[in-house]
Amino acid sequence: MKQSRLGLTIAIIVLLVIAGLAVFPFYWMFVTATTPTSNFYDENAQLFPNLANLGNFFGAFTDTPMLTWLGNSAIVATGTMVLAVAFGVPTAYALSRFSFRGKAIVGLSLFLTQMLPEAVLVVPLFSIFAALGLINSLFGLILVNAAFVMPVVTLVLMGAIDGVPTEIDEAARVDGATRVGVLTRMVIPIIAPSLAAVAVIAFFHGWNEYIFALTFTTQDSLHTASVGLAGFIGELTTPTQQVMSVAIVYTLPAVALYLLLQRFIVSGIAAGSVKG
Amino acid sequence: MTSSTTRQRAPRRRDPRRIHGLRSMPYLFIAPAALYLFIFQGIPLIQEFRLAFSNAKLFRPNDFDFIGFDNFVAISQDDGFWQAVSVTVVYVVCCVVGTVLIGLGVALLMNRKFKGRSVLRSLIIIPWAAPPVAIALIAVWMLDARYGIVNRALAVGGLAPEGGNWLNSTTLALPAVLIVTIWQLFPFTSVVTLAALQSVPEELNEAAMLDGANARQRFSAVTWPTIRPTVALVAILMTIWSLRRFELIWLMTQGGPVGTTNTLVIDLYRESFIIRDLGQGAAIGIVGLLVSLTITVIYFILSNRAARSEVTR
Repeated sequence: MKQSRLGLTIAIIVLLVIAGLAVFPFYWMFVTATTPTSNFYDENAQLFPNLANLGNFFGAFTDTPMLTWLGNSAIVATGTMVLAVAFGVPTAYALSRFSFRGKAIVGLSLFLTQMLPEAVLVVPLFSIFAALGLINSLFGLILVNAAFVMPVVTLVLMGAIDGVPTEIDEAARVDGATRVGVLTRMVIPIIAPSLAAVAVIAFFHGWNEYIFALTFTTQDSLHTASVGLAGFIGELTTPTQQVMSVAIVYTLPAVALYLLLQRFIVSGIAAGSVKG
Repeated sequence: MTSSTTRQRAPRRRDPRRIHGLRSMPYLFIAPAALYLFIFQGIPLIQEFRLAFSNAKLFRPNDFDFIGFDNFVAISQDDGFWQAVSVTVVYVVCCVVGTVLIGLGVALLMNRKFKGRSVLRSLIIIPWAAPPVAIALIAVWMLDARYGIVNRALAVGGLAPEGGNWLNSTTLALPAVLIVTIWQLFPFTSVVTLAALQSVPEELNEAAMLDGANARQRFSAVTWPTIRPTVALVAILMTIWSLRRFELIWLMTQGGPVGTTNTLVIDLYRESFIIRDLGQGAAIGIVGLLVSLTITVIYFILSNRAARSEVTR
């Protein structure tokens, strides 16, 4: 199909502007993080990063408990990922491969959980967790985060397994493989890219989560990075440069992994969404 | 493990179930997740309903009486609640319309071959990948009345808003929160719409072109019917996600100033944790859930009807 050169040029210019707007705040984080305190409140803002001030980065980690908080976030995120995927894989397989009574209800319930705001469940979950001794526990955060992201994981994986020909299952079954064997040895290797995508989604659900981490942890040493970082908003004692340095370190892994796996994440969500 | 031991109990030979597995098999696969979700979503949800009909307070969450519909009556007589309803409607409608339209536009622009397309797509996806807390943080800083880059840039053009205090202004706070929200979410609608666009059969487009259809006609006859289900799904996801969005709004404005960014979710959080009235907080939450549920049901009915009319056509 031939397209007009002018049309294409205009399209690319518009897209460049949009991409610029998409990226600018992150660039601005970096500029702020490297602005020396002396010209921080200058009449004219410094518009480019000042690489001589990269030292700010390290100051942020020695002056705040941020390393501990990032470590907590990593633990919560990893646990969330493991649990959500472990529960999601068999459910997705069953929804994709079996026909059974109640299947539609299971699928619909998974979709309906998307409507549940964390803020609505935070109070009752707090009482339940208090009774179970799971307040001030990273494991408690893992449990609740996995519950919130598991439906998404399941729906995306279901779309992926739908794309695997059932002949593969049947051939393996005839060769004597059990259902579990078919799932672990035949299906999972084929859907590995989607598995990686949902693992990233689940991991960063735990990494980003704020409201439960805020209400379920009272000790400073158990805060996750999201809570620690949010605590800097409106607070005036920590230099803005340090806050931005920490924000960059907190943001970077998420952006990097999403970019790395974007093809699978997007196609996974798109496939899941076409299915509904 | 359980499944392999149960399977051996089944008759081995010539049983059609050998391929398809036991009747109970699917339930064994689903049970762990179902149980898990029941404990961590189902039970709390039931509890939330009970709280909504109770006079529970934050300092005595387990010692309460049931008071019927009093909480619902109380919130219905509260102007703040109705303000929260209207803020929620504005917030959700603007988010959905903004993200879906921008997403469609970006996807259409990107749905052609040119050098650097994948780089552009990667750049555009970044806001969606970033943690909301980090986004709230940078947004608050960029919108800072005195030192924020937004006001500094606007001042250069002589456009700086009166007072310039975005997040403390009753007229500017909601637009600011909306811009940040849409900025974070348009990548999602864009890439999903783009994926749908790429599944539009090229031959159909070419055939329409040979028939002399112009770009607009091709869009409405070929492109739109293919991508409509995806756009509809993206719209419903944006709706229910926007109804439940918390941290971005809370961290930027806490629902203020004077409630102008106070959505239902922010309102229920404030009612529960600041005013410490768990009963009324829960009642607000239930109202929000019913709104979500109604919209979702309407969506399913409409999309079913659309699918059916597609078949009959």
